[in-house]
Amino acid sequence: MKPDDLEQILAQAAQRELLPDAQRAAIQRAQRTLLAGLRPAKPLASPRWFLLSFIAVCAGFAVSIAAILGMHGLHVLGAVQGAAIFTALLALAMLAAVACERAMRPAGGARLGWQAWLVAAIVFPVLFSLVFHGYSTLNFVHEGIPCLVAGLAVSLPTGLIVALILRRGFVMEWSSAGLAAGTLSGLAGLAMLELHCPNLKAIHVISWHVAVVVLAGILGWGIGWLADERRRKRTVTAAAAPGNA
Amino acid sequence: MTPSPRVPEDSTAPVRLSPGDEPSLGLEAWMAGYQMADEAAATALIRKVSPLLLRFFLVQAATRRFAEDLVQETWIRVHRARHTYRGGEPVLPWIFAIARHAGLDSMRKTRRVEFRETQVDVLPPVASAEPFASSGDLDALLAGLPPAQREVIVLLKISGMTIEEVALATSASAGSVKQKAHRAYRRLREVLSRRARSQ
Repeated sequence: MKPDDLEQILAQAAQRELLPDAQRAAIQRAQRTLLAGLRPAKPLASPRWFLLSFIAVCAGFAVSIAAILGMHGLHVLGAVQGAAIFTALLALAMLAAVACERAMRPAGGARLGWQAWLVAAIVFPVLFSLVFHGYSTLNFVHEGIPCLVAGLAVSLPTGLIVALILRRGFVMEWSSAGLAAGTLSGLAGLAMLELHCPNLKAIHVISWHVAVVVLAGILGWGIGWLADERRRKRTVTAAAAPGNA
Repeated sequence: MTPSPRVPEDSTAPVRLSPGDEPSLGLEAWMAGYQMADEAAATALIRKVSPLLLRFFLVQAATRRFAEDLVQETWIRVHRARHTYRGGEPVLPWIFAIARHAGLDSMRKTRRVEFRETQVDVLPPVASAEPFASSGDLDALLAGLPPAQREVIVLLKISGMTIEEVALATSASAGSVKQKAHRAYRRLREVLSRRARSQ
């Protein structure tokens, strides 16, 4: 064999005949399973509809809970601070919504790379350090815990609704879908805190408000990973794998 | 609507493609019919795609029984996911995206089962059920490639998909697929060069 033979070997392999009984067996098994009780399936709505749904759920929870608790944060924010924070929030929510939409159907598009998630992880600490000041640790934990709890309390129902929307599709990898859904719901929590929390100390916002997004993302990924493990346990083929015959 | 390839009378015979046929010819129409519970369209789709799936799993170092089980698992998932197919989009990347996940799930589970098992005796050699009419050099060649590169070569060269279709099936960018294919080719040529020198 020579290097020039490569194309020929690949072409031969593509044309290589499968034994008829192997093909027939595979086709018969598939037909037996699929054709019994075949029912019409309504195709999914357009990607745009799902993107809007994800953003609407995220914004709806954030604004309504902030409205109930009081928009104290919005009143103390400057125009530049508010514009920068809410533009970044919208951009990252769009990114997470796109990741959710892509995860809910096979061949839905390229996965978001680790670079995108890295940018998403550092954008808020950098932004908050630019628009806010104050690094005093006085009452750091005492002021922070209520914000963390309130942020997560908004994230959990948001994540639940996002997961219910995801289930309308066919998620093949729940760990990455969970990371996207968790990040999106964490952003809902962060948005609510920015609208509600009047504490503008940089260290408070960077630590406790951003922690909501990070924790929600990790929680989403973890729940997704467990769902993947559960699905793998139900996979029927492992018993027939080489070495387990 | 795209013209469909001729379907043989025997309902379990694979649909054969003539050399000039596009691999995805008629698949979109059949998939749309399958979504609408058209039994003839579903039958035609199964008969055309099953051999492609079987080949895909067999080339990736699977036994015949394992590959047939994976084809079955893929079809079960295709059936559950059929509402997520959007009319007009290419069918093969959609099905192969499901197939590669079924394969990955199964491999991961197998690895875990093997890790927990302790071999208590030497097993007798099992006669291999060779599914191909004639064996080639491909299996030995591909064995030296990393899984991601092997998968790209199989989808491009054995399943006959385009770079864009492989990118869709593997949730990667077209650039990433090109890069993997390029690296795989380089590695395969190196292997062939070494073999040529040693002969």
